[in-house]
Amino acid sequence: MKWTPADIEKFEKSPEYVDTAVVPLFPVSFANGMKETAAMTEFTSLLTSQLERQLQGRILLTPGFSYLKSSRFPVVEQLKDWETDMLDKQFNHVFYVTSDSDWKQHEAMLQGTLLWIPSLPLQHMDEKAKQSVMEDQIRQLMNLFIQKWRDAEAE
Amino acid sequence: MSKDRVSRRQFLNYTLLGVGGFMAAGMVMPMARFAIDPVLKANASGDFVATKVKVADITEEPQRVDFKFDQVDAWYESEETGTAWVYKNENGEIVALSPVCKHLGCTVDWNADEKNQNMFFCPCHYGLYEKDGTNVPGTPPLAPLDVYPYQEKDGILYLGKAQPREGA
Ligand code: FES
Repeated sequence: MKWTPADIEKFEKSPEYVDTAVVPLFPVSFANGMKETAAMTEFTSLLTSQLERQLQGRILLTPGFSYLKSSRFPVVEQLKDWETDMLDKQFNHVFYVTSDSDWKQHEAMLQGTLLWIPSLPLQHMDEKAKQSVMEDQIRQLMNLFIQKWRDAEAE
Repeated sequence: MSKDRVSRRQFLNYTLLGVGGFMAAGMVMPMARFAIDPVLKANASGDFVATKVKVADITEEPQRVDFKFDQVDAWYESEETGTAWVYKNENGEIVALSPVCKHLGCTVDWNADEKNQNMFFCPCHYGLYEKDGTNVPGTPPLAPLDVYPYQEKDGILYLGKAQPREGA
């Protein structure tokens, strides 16, 4: 489900079925690396919205978590704040999707699952190539989710 | 100042009222349009969209068929991709099913679960459907998969808007 009033209404009717929150992590930089952060953000947002289409009955796609790459404040702390709230509520699973590899070093601090997916140069692909590449990525991503659910249920 | 003259305060009040009145009218007009629009547009949705599939190539094994159509979302028009599961049944009739799970809308897959061969399977809460789209009682979905009306033109499969059916 998406972060829209209509979807939240649906969510509130059957929260027991929607047990997974997906948070896209969007890096922002206004210095060098501006274009890279834009590419990462575009890629991650495309990926997560397609994922939502496939698995909308079980996941809630939150608004993206945007952060300044050069921030003087600890960004992880803020994300942990989100995490605590989400886990306190009904979510059993929290997934973070990002193309920013910086998050890997913080992975251990997070309870949720970090999915780091390097962004592809979509800008230089034609429509057809883009579509098949994205489909492939989404299928892999979906399988990670499905596997994680299965594992949790088998426990 | 005589009593009949408009005082500064009154004048201001009148003007503000006037502006407010315009603003209110400005809001009512588009609202009325929103309310009426869907009715005016109702006909447009009956269209059939061409797929890339030749009718002759359709087998008894459901295959995934993607097709593109334009969708107008408020002020934003975009090209959307639709998907159908298409096959021929024992009588040789074409069946085109919507992949959208009738429980909470995940995308169902054909033959994706080892334990449930030759069925449509929903990965979200393990909903199951028979090959003809009938929901399996005891799994979360309460209705069969929607069916696309179809047409054949020059050997190509065209699909309309998916239609709901009665539950099992
Ligand atoms: S969305 Fe398909 S079983 Fe729940």
